[in-house]
Amino acid sequence: MESGSTDPAGAVPAGAAPAVAFRNITKRFGAVTACDRVDLELHRGRIHGILGENGAGKSTLMKMLIGLVLPDEGSIRIDGESRAIHSPLAAANLGIGMVHQHFSLVDALTVWENVALGEAGRLDPGAIRNRIGEIAEQYGLVIDPDARVGELTAGLRQRVEIIKCLRRDPNIVIFDEPTSVLTPEESVQLFASLRQVVADEGRAVVLVSHKLDEVLHATDDISIMRQGQVVDRLLAAEADAPTLARGMVGREVSLRSERAALGVLSVDEANGFDDTPIAPTTGSTATSASDGRRPVLSITNASLRGSGGTPALQDLSLDLHAGEIVGVAGVEGNGQRELGDLLSSLLSLDSGSVSIDGTRVPDGRSGAMARAGIGVIPEDRHDSGIVLDMTLAENLVLVDQSAVAQRGVLDRRSLDRFARAMIDEFAIQCAGPDAPMWSLSGGNQQRVVLARELAQNPKVLIAAQPTRGLDVGAIEYMGERLEAAAEAGVAVLLISSELEEILDLSHRIVVMHSGRIVGEMTRSEVDLEQLGLLMGGAA
Amino acid sequence: MTATAPTTPTPTPAAARAPRQGGRAGEWFLLYGLSTLGALVLSALLVEATGGDWRPVVNALLDGSLRKPGRWGETLGTAAPLLIVAVGTIISGKAGLINIGQEGQLFVGAAFATYFGFLIGGPGPLNVVLILIFGAIGGGLWAGVAALLKFWRNVPEVLSTLLLVTVGGQLVAYGLSQPWLLLAPLADRGNRNQVSTQLAEDNRLPRPEIFGNEVPLAAVIAVALAIIVSLVLARTVWGFRLRMLGRNPRAAQRSGVGQTRYGAAALMLSGAFAGLAGAAMLAGGGFSFGNYQLVPGFATNIGWTGLLVALVAREKALVAIPVAFIFAGLRTGSSFVGATGVEGRITDVIQGFLVLALLIPPAVMFLRDRRRARAAATERV
Ligand SMILES: Nc1ncnc2c1ncn2[C@@H]1O[C@H](COP(=O)(O)OP(=O)(O)OP(=O)(O)O)[C@@H](O)[C@H]1O
Ligand SMILES: [Mg+2]
Repeated sequence: MESGSTDPAGAVPAGAAPAVAFRNITKRFGAVTACDRVDLELHRGRIHGILGENGAGKSTLMKMLIGLVLPDEGSIRIDGESRAIHSPLAAANLGIGMVHQHFSLVDALTVWENVALGEAGRLDPGAIRNRIGEIAEQYGLVIDPDARVGELTAGLRQRVEIIKCLRRDPNIVIFDEPTSVLTPEESVQLFASLRQVVADEGRAVVLVSHKLDEVLHATDDISIMRQGQVVDRLLAAEADAPTLARGMVGREVSLRSERAALGVLSVDEANGFDDTPIAPTTGSTATSASDGRRPVLSITNASLRGSGGTPALQDLSLDLHAGEIVGVAGVEGNGQRELGDLLSSLLSLDSGSVSIDGTRVPDGRSGAMARAGIGVIPEDRHDSGIVLDMTLAENLVLVDQSAVAQRGVLDRRSLDRFARAMIDEFAIQCAGPDAPMWSLSGGNQQRVVLARELAQNPKVLIAAQPTRGLDVGAIEYMGERLEAAAEAGVAVLLISSELEEILDLSHRIVVMHSGRIVGEMTRSEVDLEQLGLLMGGAA
Repeated sequence: MTATAPTTPTPTPAAARAPRQGGRAGEWFLLYGLSTLGALVLSALLVEATGGDWRPVVNALLDGSLRKPGRWGETLGTAAPLLIVAVGTIISGKAGLINIGQEGQLFVGAAFATYFGFLIGGPGPLNVVLILIFGAIGGGLWAGVAALLKFWRNVPEVLSTLLLVTVGGQLVAYGLSQPWLLLAPLADRGNRNQVSTQLAEDNRLPRPEIFGNEVPLAAVIAVALAIIVSLVLARTVWGFRLRMLGRNPRAAQRSGVGQTRYGAAALMLSGAFAGLAGAAMLAGGGFSFGNYQLVPGFATNIGWTGLLVALVAREKALVAIPVAFIFAGLRTGSSFVGATGVEGRITDVIQGFLVLALLIPPAVMFLRDRRRARAAATERV
């Protein structure tokens, strides 16, 4: 063993073979070098954070450890022994488990059935339920084993994914952006318990994340990747957020987006908001709700029964005016997903209506909302945001092909030109316009969605968890684009489970609870305490 | 995936797609080579075991499909309806719908063509076109029944299309027993029962003779259709939307590609192709397909085999062209095998082996991809 040349100094007992050692790993996809001569070591008893911009090669590196991608060059040693990991099965036999960036659950099955999937031999539902209970207790991942996965919120689905991974007690655990859909409290709890297990049982854990704060707090060692290479290695104890951000992006990142990315906005800071560049600039937009102008989007008394019979939307009314950003705060699972689906023509209301510029838009009729001018960045891009099996260029014109078609025939050349322009503007990393969508990294897929929805010049833009999966630099850019859109007269509805994001960008904030709007305040009169109470349904 | 997406195929996790590049073409080649070889060896063994000799059997196959005078024309004539059926199947497949009722749609289409062909009975060339159009309408309407059941009553099209094969067969059989429907007047059918009147000479698709072979116009039409459909699916907005619907119905729903409208259109169109194939068999005639008249069992498995062609061609209309020709060759070739003294039914078994041989590679690749996908979805401890 080249004795820990890649270790942060003195962090590891000398002589112990690392649990995993990547040696000179290279992986190319056509012209793209996803991983470029990577050396990386993971040690037992330690949590290793991996940071890097979208497309830096983080997921690819991890997929090589789990046997989904085979390296072109280099070797992987597990506990000092060189291993060829050809398949996920081989990885499982070596005690390696991974929680993937994108969900891979079967919606039609229940939680325990999903957890049991792939189990050889006869199923013992009782035993599996018990195991789910144990994990729930140990890691604070409480879930109803009999719930149908299709009806769970993104956060709960993520729990199922994590439980699936932890169920077999892997020695080496990889988390690829596990918390992008967890609440900050959930992730804190998860990592606290994980840390304990890691220390007690000598496991090795990798955490890939874009949340600098989380990486700083949850990990011991940090590696930063840029363009397929590991460009920096540090100890978490010695690092700070600005350094990490600079290391990732290669430039300074503005404080505001850092705050959003870091999740470091504490109550104190939020109260003394004078240093924020965002406070509604003109003041007119913030009060527009009451100044008598006609709203662009108005949702009136929308009610909808959820699949379980419980109301998903209850008599919800909401007006949105041109030029304002309205943040929808609330704990996930309180109707946000249904609100997004409603405005994507994916749901029909039981009662109530949606209108744009005073004209009613039929709910649930395919394409009606989009035609009326509602752009949507959906909370789960794989659900209705993109088509993985089509090309990047095609995904950029899913909703409206008129600009790249003549008399019903697609004009490949103008599609190509349009796609290249978008790729440049939104810095989408890809092999080219014809790259299949599934070959893009998670954050780059998200950029495609953003590019498409903005390029459509919507009247209303629904941005649900828009920064999910984006790197620090891209979060900054996303914020700028949303603000620019609002300035250009678009009415923006920002649905987010991250309060910082909402506080950062919104002119007006509404709080959702149990499918209804339970409170509203302008940006300048935000009272965090009351906001918290409203979100909890207590006020 | 909830609510509006009853046919959502479980999406392959992105992770599972990763290892999918490089060496694919080589793998395909190897797989087809191996499986075809396997089928040939098995067939040879079977022939030997039943006291025959495999060499003459191979010769007979080649004679029957290509070498003997007039035979490749015959093979082309068989390939034509196979290809038309396959192309239709590809259309519905792209929209994510599984139509397996082509055999019935073809038969009903042929019956429509017969009935209206005689009812209208216009001047020659014009009536040929009308016959083809009515065949397509008949097949389309028959698939439309399945579409109606699906989008109105949520009956899976896999079931309904299949069941409608039987129902369609019964209906046409009834029609063939009724003089006011399809049954020919006694004078035109001798003492045969249940046949329609033969199409008049000028109501048939021409078969110009080239190099001693009658080249059926139907084959030219079929190839043209395959090319057109492949272009339409790849290049037009409509094809684009259909693919979107097949790949992600939720994204399609949001983007204005309604399941009901586009799905029903795709299903009916695929039925229309099957019906057109039936009409082309009727008007194209030839040794294999009756004698320019509708008879019981007219479809003679062309619908089923066309479905196999689409399956083997893996939803690529252009690939379906050679595949249809190979399947047609097996069919025309096997009719010569009987002459070698080998038990007639053995040729059916041989044909089965060869069909399997062509189906195995896609199945193997599919299973392997799926195993990887499943592994990705489940085996991550
Ligand atoms: N199967 C594939 N085929 C082609 N290119 C691929 C494939 N998988 C990954 N890539 C490319 O490799 C690069 C690295 O992708 P990867 O998914 O590892 O990024 P990442 O660091 O996880 O990014 P993100 O933060 O956005 O998730 C990207 O440019 C991506 O487009
Ligand atoms: Mg990734």
